[in-house]
Amino acid sequence: MLRASRRVLRPGGRTAFYTIHPAAGLTPAQRRRAARSGAPAVSTARPYQDLLAAAGFVRVQRTDCTAAFAATAQAWLTGWDASLAGLAALYGEEFVAERQRRRRIQLRAIGDGLLARSLFTATRP
Amino acid sequence: MTSSEAKAAELFIERYRVGPTDVTKRIERAVIGGDWGANGYTTLAQARKLGTELGLGPGARLLDLGAGQGWPGVYLATATGCEVVLADVPTEGLRSAVARARAEGVAARAVPVSASARRLPFAAGTFDGVAHTDVLC
Repeated sequence: MLRASRRVLRPGGRTAFYTIHPAAGLTPAQRRRAARSGAPAVSTARPYQDLLAAAGFVRVQRTDCTAAFAATAQAWLTGWDASLAGLAALYGEEFVAERQRRRRIQLRAIGDGLLARSLFTATRP
Repeated sequence: MTSSEAKAAELFIERYRVGPTDVTKRIERAVIGGDWGANGYTTLAQARKLGTELGLGPGARLLDLGAGQGWPGVYLATATGCEVVLADVPTEGLRSAVARARAEGVAARAVPVSASARRLPFAAGTFDGVAHTDVLC
């Protein structure tokens, strides 16, 4: 996807994206738990800085947003918990319960330092 | 597509089939500061940061990958005056995004395209900026 992004950008064009990824310096077992706890994209094996460079981008920068990620994840969990009946009427109880279960798993992984979220920016030369 | 990705895609389609409602908009406003049908972690402040980082303004061409129901692509078109192509695989979300673009008066600058982020049907050098937020790829 990063290579496709570079191709459709004009020279000097920029990409900017937020993504959830494993924290730096994890053991293999911790990485596996991080991957299980986040979105499928979390399973990427290499740091995004390397992937962007390999895709031909320059001026690659990362800004950590993990604190905001934890706050937003907690707010979704709390907000849904406060409206369970209304949400179950929309989506069904099973869907709502599964979403909340996954949110709790993700919050634990953030709290344990396994999952991070960052803003990446890079320029097409 | 792995089984976990397939399951995630099913969950998204379920959401888009329902569309934004009063209860989901109320929660979304409290959590991320908007009511664009978002269900991720990109707050209003973070969406604005994307606009700044990409130098968006009138005439700039933005590609939003995994555009969902218009957050942040339609928002950025509204807030910065840029043009946006909204690319996503589920067309259910794009229909909501187009409806929102119409309501915001930016439909002429917001074009939906059903496409995978890995195979983009655009000529090289088409865009000034490419954005995505927590996409499944």
